Amino acid sequence: MSSENFASSERKSIVYFFIIGTFVLLVFRLFQMQIIEYTEYKEKAANNSIKAIEQVPLRGVFYDRNMNVVVSNVPAYTLRITPAEYDPKLTPTLEAVLGVQPGYINKILYENRIYSKFVPIRIKRGIDFNVVSWLEENSEHLPGVDYVVEMQRGYPAGIRGSHMFGYIREITPNLLEKNKDYYAPGDYIGYSGIEKAYEKILRGTKGYNYVMVDSRRREIGKFKDGKEDVPSIKGNDLVLSLDEDVQKAAEEGLEGKKGAAIAIDPKTGGIIAMASAPDFDLNQFSYVTSKDYLKKLYSDPDKPFFNRATMAALPPGSTFKIVEAIAALNDNIITTDNTFTCRGGQTFYGRYFKCDAVHGTLNVIHAIEHSCNVFFYNLIYKIGMERWFRYAKLFGFGQDTHIDIGNESSGFIPNEQYFEKLYGSNWPKSIMASLGIGQGEVSVTPIQLAQYCSLIANDGVTYTPHLVKGYLTNDTHKLVPFTFKKIDVGIDKKIFDIVKQGMFLVVNGSGTAAGIKSNDIQIAGKTGTAQNPHGKDHAWFIGFAPYDNPKIAVAVLVENVGFGATWAAPIAKKMIEAYLLKDKLKKDQSNPQTELKNNLIGASFAH
Amino acid sequence: MRIDYKINDKFDFGIFFTSLILCGIGLVAIYSSTLNNPHAAGNFQKQVIWGIGAYIIFFAVYSLPTNIFKSISIPSYIISILLLMAVLAVGKRVNGAKSWFGFAGLGFQPSELANITTVMAMSVFLSRKNIDINSFKNILIALAIGLIPVVFILLEPNLGSTFIYFAIIIALLYWRGISLFGLFVVLSPGIVAIASLFGFSYFIIFLALVLISLILFKQDLFFSGSIFAINIAAGFFTEYVFKALKPHQQLRILSFINPSSDPLGAGYNAIQAKIGIGSGGLLGKGFLSGSQTQLQFIPEQWTDFIFCVIGEEFGFIGSVITIILFFYMFYRIFKLASFAKDEFSSLLLIGILTVLFMHFLINVGMVVGILPVIGLPLPFVSYGGSALVVNLIMLGIVANIYRTRKNYI
Repeated sequence: MSSENFASSERKSIVYFFIIGTFVLLVFRLFQMQIIEYTEYKEKAANNSIKAIEQVPLRGVFYDRNMNVVVSNVPAYTLRITPAEYDPKLTPTLEAVLGVQPGYINKILYENRIYSKFVPIRIKRGIDFNVVSWLEENSEHLPGVDYVVEMQRGYPAGIRGSHMFGYIREITPNLLEKNKDYYAPGDYIGYSGIEKAYEKILRGTKGYNYVMVDSRRREIGKFKDGKEDVPSIKGNDLVLSLDEDVQKAAEEGLEGKKGAAIAIDPKTGGIIAMASAPDFDLNQFSYVTSKDYLKKLYSDPDKPFFNRATMAALPPGSTFKIVEAIAALNDNIITTDNTFTCRGGQTFYGRYFKCDAVHGTLNVIHAIEHSCNVFFYNLIYKIGMERWFRYAKLFGFGQDTHIDIGNESSGFIPNEQYFEKLYGSNWPKSIMASLGIGQGEVSVTPIQLAQYCSLIANDGVTYTPHLVKGYLTNDTHKLVPFTFKKIDVGIDKKIFDIVKQGMFLVVNGSGTAAGIKSNDIQIAGKTGTAQNPHGKDHAWFIGFAPYDNPKIAVAVLVENVGFGATWAAPIAKKMIEAYLLKDKLKKDQSNPQTELKNNLIGASFAH
Repeated sequence: MRIDYKINDKFDFGIFFTSLILCGIGLVAIYSSTLNNPHAAGNFQKQVIWGIGAYIIFFAVYSLPTNIFKSISIPSYIISILLLMAVLAVGKRVNGAKSWFGFAGLGFQPSELANITTVMAMSVFLSRKNIDINSFKNILIALAIGLIPVVFILLEPNLGSTFIYFAIIIALLYWRGISLFGLFVVLSPGIVAIASLFGFSYFIIFLALVLISLILFKQDLFFSGSIFAINIAAGFFTEYVFKALKPHQQLRILSFINPSSDPLGAGYNAIQAKIGIGSGGLLGKGFLSGSQTQLQFIPEQWTDFIFCVIGEEFGFIGSVITIILFFYMFYRIFKLASFAKDEFSSLLLIGILTVLFMHFLINVGMVVGILPVIGLPLPFVSYGGSALVVNLIMLGIVANIYRTRKNYI
């Protein structure tokens, strides 16, 4: 060795420890990555290379009580563009074919620029079949342009049911924020009516197909041959208590009017029909709603989006006399032997209140029959504010009915405290006379009146009003019924028999709705006219049939028309007939509609 | 001295089988990473053929008379410099760098050959009798031998390989016994150069440290001044070199300085490599089952990122076994270098160890994210024919020296 320093043992040791140190460092680093931080990296790797493609399940359809499909799924075509393959020179041609404004496609592409260029972007939903044919013919000249078939809502039954069925729409950022556990941007969600209230049952469960992607996020095959794929589960079909024919009668009856019509099975609380007019065309909402149509709906002074059936709170008029009669009879304040004498009007607390006619002396039954105001002016003073308020509440007024689709007004029933607050302790007692005939500061909704009518018809017992009976299991198609709260006012049947007798005479005697007397069905009812300081009065009618075994209870409101018997009662009659004389009416018409219905998607689940 | 004629005294089975296992691991990983990639179809077969050829060369080198290495050192060094010059003129451009000769469908990188020839030339120079390693002149000559190839390699440009040459220079001077001050003279410009990459303030701080060190070493003023001037020059030279680098190479350096700056740009490979290794866990995802590997998240994984395949598909166990094999090999070479009977052999072995170890360290350090992404292959494992041949030439020299280690008394 020529140098003392050459590879001295000190230098050897340094090299040796350097090598050992490096070894320890690398092993430690690998231990850190592969053992300690393993889960973190594993998750990253999974997100990296395996892409889950959502499988949107088929939404549940709606059946009516006779298992006719009323809301179905129909295929619709959606045009898509894959930016990576798309030639922007095609844009003007495509925009012309789609019939959209120039710049439409670029705007959508720009909004979606954050996504991979290999992910197709939906350009327009619900494109015409003509456009689809054109796409097929020219596909070789249209790189990156394709279409997919997606499902949208269809309404095959010829009924509108706008407010009741409701619609689905792309989830809003606000809703998404609250429902992040299931929904993703671009998902559709029930936005109103049954679609909203039963969203979780209808939507089904999303599935996932796992595909492998390369570093450019392009799909390069199935992951594990699809063994890990989670199939989507179809949403459950709903069975409504709705009757298609009654609904149609209600909608036809309200055509061109403002108002609402509701029919309830009094024994179950199941809603047989529920219409609100004016309404809107749900077909326009099945995918993308045109801005013009929305603008038209929003600018309409009659508020087509407003579900009058559950939200219109108006004075009940004479329909409210029944609850007063029940209060008086049930608390033994009067019996059928007690009478009042009507001379066409009477003064209470210095104010003169008139009646429609001079009814003479009548008991409670005939007072109902003739809707005598004088009788009920006197009666409310006899029973007092507190009792009147208590019984109104007992029959569901001034509070939500808790109908399954929600979105209701609770109306208003005033009490003594209310007037004391408003006018002081010396509030004018003459107000009570108005309340006695359902006018003034009392308001009810059509659904409350329908429930009230059910309670009368079924002798004080019914269930929370509801549109949906239950859902069908996907495999066996068995009905899984929902349970609804029982309502029992706890009043003896003989009390109801008295008022019902009066209501029977309203139609079948010389009462206010004698015009709707039917030879086929015994209808009982009560008219009402809500005074409207802003214009023509609102017409009410509540009724039930058959009289001896009520199967249907109806409440009809027609706004700004005048007398209840003239406008509301005939609609109620049509609904009752559509329900109870179904077979007879079918024979009369013998129309081929039922066959048409079964051709549409969703109908195949019916049987 | 007793001469043992047993075969394992003449042939280093430890190193041979270690290299063979590493080549085997490499083939498995290359097979896995190229299976689903049409652009890399046939790479596995090519590597097998290269491997067979490389082992033939290994045995040829093993059989040579040991003293021939000393005599061919300078000529082979000159030839490799000429090849480096030639490749700049007529070479094939691969991934932006003109560093390849292409013939008969096979690529050849002169810079890899220049590794071993530089080691040989420096070893010859440093093992001359009565050489004063601490003289400024000798240090400069040694530096020149090591840096001439670097100039050509930087012109290609091939950043990664230049690190090997710096390591060779330092390791051989260190092993030869350079004084602490001498080492400082050699090292300081490099440290200042790297520091200047991080920004001007770092450059100034390190320059100040150099100045303080120079004062503490108490060498003569002219010498110290020259060293300081060289250090300043090194800093500016780095800036010049950095600007001369391809944008992708600049980004690689910058992305290491600030790795999260561009996750889908220059840092993309580093991130994907870490995900691949980390997600391998203890036992790995299994052969051909690594999602990162099979879905080609890392471009050309079979070359510089081959260790990811091992980490992902064979897990911590597979990675550690691979690392142990390497360290066993390094240990054997180190031990042989420590007990070699002549200085040339000892320096040659240390040079070879440096080349292999630095490739290993930079490569694995890069894929596990403790070093920047510098394009250097993992010896024996990465796909690449010329690297494999050069590595087995080096192992052949090691085996040759082992064979004759007791002949020189």
